[in-house]
Amino acid sequence: MAPISFKKFVTKGDFAQFLQTLSGSLQCVPEITDAEGDVLRVGSSDLELMQGVEPLPIIISDRLWGYVRAPEPYGAIFAHLTVYYLQREQDRRILAAEALDKYREITFLYAFAGKIASCLGIREVCQLVITEAHKLIPSTNAMVMLYQEAQHHLEVIACVGQTADAPPTFSPSQGIEGHVFLTGRAEIVNDLHADPRCDPRYPSSDYAVICAPLKTQDRVMGVIRLGTSEHIYYTAAELKLFTALTAQASAAIENALLHEHKIQEERIKSNLERYLSPQVAQAVISSTGQVSLTTSKRRLTMLFSDIRNFSGHCEQLAAEEVVTYLNEYFTHMVSVIFSHKGTVNKFVGDMIVAMFGAPATLPQHEQRAIAAAIDMQRCLVNIPVPWIRQHFLTGIGISTGEVVVGNIGSPQHMDYTAIGDEVNIAARLQGLAKGGQILVSRSVYDAARAHYTFRPYGDIVVKGRKNPVEIYEVLYTEKP
Amino acid sequence: MSKILIVDDEPHIRMLLEQTLEELEDEGVEIFTAENGEEALSAIQEEQPNLVFLDVMMPKMNGFDVCHTVKRELQLSQIYIIMLTAKGQEFDRVRGEEVGADIYMTKPFDPDEILDKAYEILNIPH
Repeated sequence: MAPISFKKFVTKGDFAQFLQTLSGSLQCVPEITDAEGDVLRVGSSDLELMQGVEPLPIIISDRLWGYVRAPEPYGAIFAHLTVYYLQREQDRRILAAEALDKYREITFLYAFAGKIASCLGIREVCQLVITEAHKLIPSTNAMVMLYQEAQHHLEVIACVGQTADAPPTFSPSQGIEGHVFLTGRAEIVNDLHADPRCDPRYPSSDYAVICAPLKTQDRVMGVIRLGTSEHIYYTAAELKLFTALTAQASAAIENALLHEHKIQEERIKSNLERYLSPQVAQAVISSTGQVSLTTSKRRLTMLFSDIRNFSGHCEQLAAEEVVTYLNEYFTHMVSVIFSHKGTVNKFVGDMIVAMFGAPATLPQHEQRAIAAAIDMQRCLVNIPVPWIRQHFLTGIGISTGEVVVGNIGSPQHMDYTAIGDEVNIAARLQGLAKGGQILVSRSVYDAARAHYTFRPYGDIVVKGRKNPVEIYEVLYTEKP
Repeated sequence: MSKILIVDDEPHIRMLLEQTLEELEDEGVEIFTAENGEEALSAIQEEQPNLVFLDVMMPKMNGFDVCHTVKRELQLSQIYIIMLTAKGQEFDRVRGEEVGADIYMTKPFDPDEILDKAYEILNIPH
C-alpha cells in the first residue's frame, strides 16, 4: 500500500476542496506546513491576525504529519478536522488495499477454476495445482502427494521450488504430512523444527509449513504442502485461501483419477470383450457376481463347433477370400454364443471352442449350451452371404462336467482356458457330428432332457475312462 | 502529466481500480473517477485524460455511447479507451469496433494485467 502524501492530501482532492470552502465561509485561511516546517498551504495574508498564533501539530498514532496554524478559535477546529480526515483517508486506504487483496484472490480462484477444468491427466492437474499454489502463497517449495494404497505411502506427484532434498515418498502416518493425511485437517506449522511431529527423515530447511488434505466426500486422497525457508509466519487468512484452492484441486484430482480408472477399465473391457459376452466382461470388471479368473476346478459345459470339409471348400478360393468368409462366419457365431452368455475360449483354424459357466457362474449352463448350438445351426443357414450358406456346414459337440479352468500358460502368454476329460469328450463329439448335427454327452442329456428332444446315438470309448461315453443327438428344426 | 479516468457506476469497482492504479500516482499520473456516462463525458472534455477505463453497462448513458461521442463526435481519437465488461455477458465486438473502443477487458479483472496495461499505454517504464 502506498503511503499517504501529506502534501497531496492538503493540496489536492476532496479534503483540499473542503478546506477551501470552509476557509471561505469562515473568512479564515489556515497555514499548513509539513513536519519539517515547509509551507504546503499559504495562510491568511493578514499578518496582524496571524501574529503570535502558535502552529498546532497534526499527530496520529505518534506520527507527526505537519502543523496547522490559524487564529483562535479556528486553529483548533482546522487542526481537529485535519486529523479526522487524515485518519479517515488512512482507514480508507487500508480497507481498499484489503479489498484489492481479496479481489486478487477471487480473480485467482476464478482463473484457476477455468484452467483446471481443461486438465485431465492426473500429473497435469497436480502440476497446475502446485504451480498456482506456489504463486499465490509465498513459499520456497511446494509439493502435491497422493496416497498409494498398494505401497502404503504418500508419493510426491508434482513439486516446484527447492525440493531437491525432499524424499520421493512420505509416511502416511508420520510427520506433519502424515498427520494431515490421517486427520484430514489443514494445518499451519510456524517454527517447524520446534514441532515434535517434524519428520526426522526430512528435516528440510523449512521454517514454516502450510499443509492441507486433498479430500473427497469419503476419503483423503493425499496432501498439498507448501514450505518456506524464510522466517515468515503463515496466517489464518492464508490457510483459508489455501483450503479454498485445495477444495477445487481435490475435485479436479478426483476427476482425473476417475478418468484414468475409466480409461484403464475401457482398455481391459475391450480386451475382455473379444472373449466374453459384454455382460460377462462387465461382471469381470466390476467383480460383482461370482467371477474368478484364478485357476479352479468347476462344473461347466464345453462346446466345440467345426466346419465340415472346410479345407475342401477353401481350395477353390484365394487365401484372402477364405479369411473374409471365415471372419464373417465367426462374427455371427460369436454373437450367438454371447447372446447365450457363453465365453469364446479360442478359435483353432475354423473350429470354435466355447464354454458356458466360466469365468462367471451360469445356472443351467447345459441348456444354454444346447440353445446356443441350435441357434448357431439356424444362424448359419440364414447367414446373409450366399457362398457361406452354400458351403459351410458345421458339426457341434457338447459335454458337461468338472474341468480345471483358469489362466493357463507361461507368464508371457496366458490363456483363459479349460482342461480335462470333458473338454476332450466335447472335441471328440464334434469330430463325430455330421454337418448340421449337434451331439451331446450323457451328462448334458441328463441335465437338459426335460427341455429338448434327444435321440440316442451310440457310445464312444474315451482314453482314460473305463466305461464308454453314451452319446445323444439333439433333435431340432431349422426354423425356430 | 498523464491522466487516467475511471468510469463505473459500481463504487467498489471504482475503488478497486483506483487502488490497483495507485502506484502510478508516484509517477505523476493523476487519477479521476466518474460514476456514470454523463459525468464521464464532462470529465473527459474538461481533463482530456490519456486513458479511460469505461464500464459498458451504466445507467443514463452507457459505455458504448460515451465512447462513440468521444471518438466519433468529439474526434478525441488520442484518448485510449478500455471498455470493461462483465464476464459471462458477451462483449459486442462489432459494436465496440463501431464506437471506436481501443480494447476491452473483462470483470473480474486481473489487477496485475490492468496495471501493466496502464504502464504500457502511458508509456511509463515499469
